[in-house]
Amino acid sequence: MNAELIGVVLLGLSYLGLLFGCGMAVERGWVPVRITRHPMVYTLALGVYASAWAIYGSIELAANAGFGYLAYYLGPAGAFLLAPVLLVPIQRITRTYQLSSLADLFAFRYRSRWAGTLVTLLSLIAVLPLLGIQVHTLSDAVQLLTGSRYSSAVALLFCAVIAGCAVLFGARHSHRHRHDTLLSVIAFESVIKLLAMLGLGAIALWWVFNGPQDLQRWLEGPGAALQSATPQLEAPQWRTLLLLFFAAAFMMPHLFQITFAESLSRHTLLQASWTLPLFLLLMALPVPLILWAAQSANESVPLAAYAAYLMTEHWWVGALAFIGGLAAASGTMMMIALALSGMVLNHIVLVARPPEARSDLYGWLLWLRRALVGAVIFGGWLFAESVGRYHSLTSLGLAAFVGMAQCLPGLLALLYWPGANRKGMIAGLIGGIGVWLWGLWLPLLFDITMPALPFTLLMPADAPAWYNATLISLAVNIVLLIVVSLFTRISEGERSAAEACSVDAVIRSKRLPLEAATAGDFPAHLAQALGDEAASREVDRALKALNLTPQERRPYALRRLRDRIQANLSGLMGPSVARDIVDRYLPYRHDDAPVTDDIHFVESRLEAYRSRLTGLARELDGLRRHHRQTLAYLPVGLCVLGDDDELLMWNQALSQLSGISGESVIGSRRDSLPPPWPTLLGSVLNASQTPLYKQAVTLHGKDYFLTLHKAVLSGHDSRGGSVILVEDHTEMKWLEEELVHAARLASIGQLAAGVAHEIGNPITGISSLAQNLRYDTEDPALLETADQIQQLTQRVTKIVNSLVGFAHGGRPALPLPAAPASLKTVSEDALHLIHLARSGEDVTFTNACPSDIVVRGDAQRLTQVMVNLLSNAKDACQPQGTVRIEAGTQASHAWWRVVDDGHGIDPSVKHRLFEPFTTTKPPGEGTGLGLSLAYQIINEHQGKIEVASPPPGKPRGTAITLWLPLYQQDDHLPHAQDTDC
Amino acid sequence: MYIYRIMLFLVFGGYLLSPLFMDGWGDPSVAWYRPFAIWGVLIALTLWLEQKRKLDER
Repeated sequence: MNAELIGVVLLGLSYLGLLFGCGMAVERGWVPVRITRHPMVYTLALGVYASAWAIYGSIELAANAGFGYLAYYLGPAGAFLLAPVLLVPIQRITRTYQLSSLADLFAFRYRSRWAGTLVTLLSLIAVLPLLGIQVHTLSDAVQLLTGSRYSSAVALLFCAVIAGCAVLFGARHSHRHRHDTLLSVIAFESVIKLLAMLGLGAIALWWVFNGPQDLQRWLEGPGAALQSATPQLEAPQWRTLLLLFFAAAFMMPHLFQITFAESLSRHTLLQASWTLPLFLLLMALPVPLILWAAQSANESVPLAAYAAYLMTEHWWVGALAFIGGLAAASGTMMMIALALSGMVLNHIVLVARPPEARSDLYGWLLWLRRALVGAVIFGGWLFAESVGRYHSLTSLGLAAFVGMAQCLPGLLALLYWPGANRKGMIAGLIGGIGVWLWGLWLPLLFDITMPALPFTLLMPADAPAWYNATLISLAVNIVLLIVVSLFTRISEGERSAAEACSVDAVIRSKRLPLEAATAGDFPAHLAQALGDEAASREVDRALKALNLTPQERRPYALRRLRDRIQANLSGLMGPSVARDIVDRYLPYRHDDAPVTDDIHFVESRLEAYRSRLTGLARELDGLRRHHRQTLAYLPVGLCVLGDDDELLMWNQALSQLSGISGESVIGSRRDSLPPPWPTLLGSVLNASQTPLYKQAVTLHGKDYFLTLHKAVLSGHDSRGGSVILVEDHTEMKWLEEELVHAARLASIGQLAAGVAHEIGNPITGISSLAQNLRYDTEDPALLETADQIQQLTQRVTKIVNSLVGFAHGGRPALPLPAAPASLKTVSEDALHLIHLARSGEDVTFTNACPSDIVVRGDAQRLTQVMVNLLSNAKDACQPQGTVRIEAGTQASHAWWRVVDDGHGIDPSVKHRLFEPFTTTKPPGEGTGLGLSLAYQIINEHQGKIEVASPPPGKPRGTAITLWLPLYQQDDHLPHAQDTDC
Repeated sequence: MYIYRIMLFLVFGGYLLSPLFMDGWGDPSVAWYRPFAIWGVLIALTLWLEQKRKLDER
């Protein structure tokens, strides 16, 4: 082993050690998250596309095809430019269903294990030449720099270290999550290879040539013949190369892994539409410079990237090229190994040997994956040593890219043709793979001349093999896919998966009930497949992700939980195995209940994707939101029930009325609602005639009267169900009762007036008889008795007159009275009437009105006002309370005030004190009409009412002040007083 | 959506017309960096469209 070899080995190991250190720094959090999760890191990680081919193969291709080498860079630039219409839909599917590879995606969409296995096998054999390129170039670089015959062993050593790094950075944890460390390491490698390429380009331009002018002189002079002798790609071949690299940009396993499987935001992916092309531009720019530097040496250079080193003979230039190549190769190998290991595990190993209910399921899967990582990288080394070294980098690379391009028709059908089925896809894929193996891959393995491909005669005579193989294989693939899909049936499961995957497809999720009744039942069901520990962990993960509890019973929530568990298991074991486990152990219940669309789920999806809707779809969504808001903010309670009794809507008014939030009950069944709603809604659903008026219920401790209306949703486009309107008629019911009470009181008043009228006549007779008695006797004792009889009959007459007056006082729209009314007298009359009511006798009433204050008005109606005020004051007072009537004058008006020391007026009713039916008294004790009537009467008297509660300077009580115009001598009586009693 | 159409037009238009820009290899009358300059302009255009799309989606 010579010194150069030791130096190169140490250089390589040092670089890989630096990589390890970088990974550990990220893993341990020494690098801030804002850096490791920066979109630029993602773009640089996507730079893994620029493998050792970009360092070595591109220069070789440039020598053979001129600017044709740019296809390698422009293809992915075009793919990422189409990110919004091509990559974002794929990202949506992979994130929703936790699909981490192309095989997962195909197995999910085409509902076939065979589809996943076939894509995995294809990826495995297609990627081998690409892996071979990485190892082959490493080995060649070591040999070129050291001349050692141990270059293969050194390459194997590097492969082993790279495999260790891949396991360390990408297969340390059992659960799939965003690999920040891996992405950061790959991004670091992209920076290194970019700097190396730019450095080599700069050396070629300013060291090998003496700057741009010297280069131009060389191109016009000695280099002109060489350049003109460089073969140029025909336009069709150029376009075919572009197509191949376009497909490779997102279909090669390692690129699919970074682009879609890592949990990156849509925004980051869209940003890569210009950042990745910029990276590739910088990578492509030095290629012709390095090639021309090599050509200027006018000698054969084994690896053109080392041209500058060979000419400058500076070791560090060679080291730069070596590190650039090692960075490109190691990143590609790590990512390919990780991606392929996952695919092989999910679609070959687990399909052949399904997981058992074992306690160490996660550890078993992890170690399997680690072993596969090592096997894939070792397979690459083996291929490079046995096959790769005998072929050009271009041949190896094109064999790999054409192979992976066979998945392109199936992928496009997955997105844009829901009619494609698994038979068509498998037939097309097998046909395409067959042509590819025959035309490109097998000739790599066996040094024999294969029989010509079918349809070769249709191709140009001088077309290269890769061109013929590409066009014929893709044509066979596409034709078989279309023809077989058109003439064979598509299964129901496949159709629903096609709808889930298709761009612009209508997704109709069904509302099927699950066998499991609660989320807490899930672990026991799943444990049969995964074991207790794994089942509990998976259910807990899903519950946490959905923010649900194990007590969750809502069918909607249980369906989402099932979907989430399937998606998580898909990330762990692949979609085929995950679907089998979930279908078997968390089955749907297929009873006779009607199956309808899961509208709530569709709405959730629409809400989630709202910002991405454009054009007509956006307008329609705006319309949908408008109608939904109309229903949500309707001031009447509204709920919608499906035919299966699942609650689809519960608007805000109903939430306020019931005290149950919509979020907590939407998606649940009617019978799981808190009482009394199941019975109440059931009664209206079962009623032959609606509405159901004023159903008495108790909600949060209070009595309510609800009127329920129902409409059955039917019609051509209807998804079934019923809409129920819930009106709160509690207040109306209460007002009705108050009106009845008021009417009863009015009847009693009329009765009292009638009785008073009837009593008046005998009283008059008694008074007359007492008068006669006075005339007929001189006996002092009898005279005194007659006086007393007359005084008592006068008192009875006064009471009767007051009663009659009060009974007639409430008549509306009487003309403005202009008679004098003494406030003291009116107050006395009112007090008299108040005392008749045998309640509140322990309240002290004081009439402090001066006798000289006379107002203009109707004494009877003013009495009625005062009775109402005194009655309210009496009711507000505690026992031993006091009510005082005061009066005074101010200018042309008199003020007349009732002051009590009661509990005051409730602030909540203060602003509507004079509205009818406003009361704070218990039902049946007050009509709520007294103050309204008082306000009306005072208003008719051109007066006003002021309320102070509590009165100024007092801690409690109420003062109600009436302002009335004083009686003037020149006031005249416009209308005769109503004397009818 | 209009932005997506522009991107589709750019990609497919570029795909069909790109051979015209690739013919300058070894031609002294054409600057060797011409394809890269065109590519740079396309990247700038994409950057502008991306900014416009972000504004549209706000």
